[in-house]
Amino acid sequence: MEKIHLTPVQEYRLRERAERTSGSVFYLKLFLLAFFLSVPFLFHSFEILDVILKIIVFSALVASYDILIGYTGIASLGHTLYFGIGAYLVGIFMGKFGLSSYGHLALAVLIGVVLSGVLSVFIGFFSLRIRTIFFAMVTLAFLEFVFILSSQLRFLTGGDDGLSFKLPGILAIDYSLGRFLGLEVTGRIISYYLILLVALILFLLMLRFVHSPFGRVLKSIRDNEQRSIALGYKTYLFHIMASSFASCVASVAGGCFAIWVGFVSPESTLGVPIMLDVLLMVIVGGMGTLYGGIFGASFLMVMRAFLPKVQGLVAALLPGVPLAVRLSERWLFYFGLLFILIVYFFPKGLVGTAQEFVHKKRNEEIG
Amino acid sequence: MTSAGRPWIPRLIGPALILLPLLFIQPKTYLTLTISGLAMGMLLFLVASGFSLIFGFMDVLNFAHGAFFAWGAYVGYTAMLWINKWSGWATSDSFFLNMIIFLLALMAAGLSVAVLGIIIERLVIRRVYGNHLFQIFITVGTMIVLEELIRITWGPDDEVMSVPQSFIGSWDLFDVVISKYPMIAIVIGLLIYGAMHLILKKTKLGMIVRAGVEKPEMVQAMGHNIYRYFTGVFAAGSALAAIGGGMWATFVKSIHPAMGGEVIIFALVIAIIGGLGSMTGSVVGALIVGLSYNYVAYLIPKGSLGITMILLIVVLLIKPTGLFSEGT
Repeated sequence: MEKIHLTPVQEYRLRERAERTSGSVFYLKLFLLAFFLSVPFLFHSFEILDVILKIIVFSALVASYDILIGYTGIASLGHTLYFGIGAYLVGIFMGKFGLSSYGHLALAVLIGVVLSGVLSVFIGFFSLRIRTIFFAMVTLAFLEFVFILSSQLRFLTGGDDGLSFKLPGILAIDYSLGRFLGLEVTGRIISYYLILLVALILFLLMLRFVHSPFGRVLKSIRDNEQRSIALGYKTYLFHIMASSFASCVASVAGGCFAIWVGFVSPESTLGVPIMLDVLLMVIVGGMGTLYGGIFGASFLMVMRAFLPKVQGLVAALLPGVPLAVRLSERWLFYFGLLFILIVYFFPKGLVGTAQEFVHKKRNEEIG
Repeated sequence: MTSAGRPWIPRLIGPALILLPLLFIQPKTYLTLTISGLAMGMLLFLVASGFSLIFGFMDVLNFAHGAFFAWGAYVGYTAMLWINKWSGWATSDSFFLNMIIFLLALMAAGLSVAVLGIIIERLVIRRVYGNHLFQIFITVGTMIVLEELIRITWGPDDEVMSVPQSFIGSWDLFDVVISKYPMIAIVIGLLIYGAMHLILKKTKLGMIVRAGVEKPEMVQAMGHNIYRYFTGVFAAGSALAAIGGGMWATFVKSIHPAMGGEVIIFALVIAIIGGLGSMTGSVVGALIVGLSYNYVAYLIPKGSLGITMILLIVVLLIKPTGLFSEGT
């Protein structure tokens, strides 16, 4: 029996495949999925369900942003623009035109995806051509522009007040399917599982995307652009394609967000603060990991849910110290510090650092 | 310049564009709009030039620039109040005393923010030279921290900026209403532009900075400590943003903590239009943006930001590196 010689890439792929369904990391992923599936049965309070669902939606959004920033190495500062487009299309279809049927909902999400893809190709076309750094500036300017547009075009978007809408059939809040395992299956719960399913599909798509040959080319461009150009890859086209794929995913995530909240406004879907949140989630989770998005989103969402309580505590403990109250009110200040400190001490983020640690151990075992 | 064969064609486009709105606007209104547009352009130039120079020279994309602008506005506001409490110059009728207190407030803003800029550059920016991604992260973090510090120090609400007595109101020249303060802003802006131009073109320091925009490694190889110049340029850029902030606050007569974020968008667009690192580009870009913003705001009130974006797209399509990208 003669030995088949494999190229290093093939060997790497085989090893990756073997590890995919074994080891502690795989069980961790399964546990996460099981946890998300059982949340409605574990916690009956709506507040917790709301936080967990936002974690799910934002994990998908952050992972799509990670494709840009961690895998492709191009920085966008307007990624939530597509999130907003996805959310607004659902809002406009359901709330403005009152077209509430399942077909229209699917159509709204689809149009959102197409629009986002086209727009990101358009933006990428004239800002990625020269230097990728322009991309960061131009996308930020566009985000600001669309934000103002959405608050001005009252006839379409409802202006600053936004749009509220009711969802069709089994997704509506007042719908009830009856009881199951001691839990009343309302429209909320059904929406939760629908969105979880969509997010899971998006995640698998993105994983497929970054592990595909196309994704490998993206990484090679990120790591050594000159060499990739010399190998004959048109980096510009790869950047645009990666950007439009990420935008489409973000748009679907935006649609899910709108379905859950039942309300869209410029502030809640297109504001720069949301972009900053996503940026922070990517940094906390780590770039170039995809799974980092889950940790980053969990960290920030849980913080946001608990911080008002901390504020009340400080105000109760130190009633006579206005500066302390002021300092506790301004929790964004600490987020800003976090940005700086993470870049200082954990440039790879939480998941990135953990992955590095695992790889080190593994290499020791092999070597 | 753009086309080497017929250099006069691009030069004609500018005046033609500036005169174009005359077709739709009454000449008197047009003049008023032009003056406020020029004033806005000059103020935007102060912000954008620092941003552009920091990027061109240091290759740092500084998103905290808007926060420096806001800090300048707040320090100017405080200085104005304090000096006026002590001297009463702002409320006096003498134009001379008004001017002195105004310039003192601007100097206070510029100097204090220059010190802030030095601290930020040493502590934060120095860590991330050459890494654009981390620069974005760390300067965005700095922007948030500085903006929140404003809210902690001065409170989160809008404040009314005190304007010196004789800067309020307008002159009436042959039925054309000319507001006083925009004219003052234009003159101060032009003086600062002239000073910068002279420093960059006529001094050794300016020569080193211009060389640094082209090839920083070469400057380092010639025996100049480029990091010292980096700190200096960063401080100067921050001070320019702060002076712009103080003047802007006097222009719109109010200040609020998030004012930096609104202006940074303009600075980005102007820096890209003019060409990163180019002074002339900054001035031309700022004037184009300021003028077009005012004309369009008068004609189509809701389209004013749209015209800025259209300009950006058009310039990126025609000349992706910016209008004046070769040299300064």
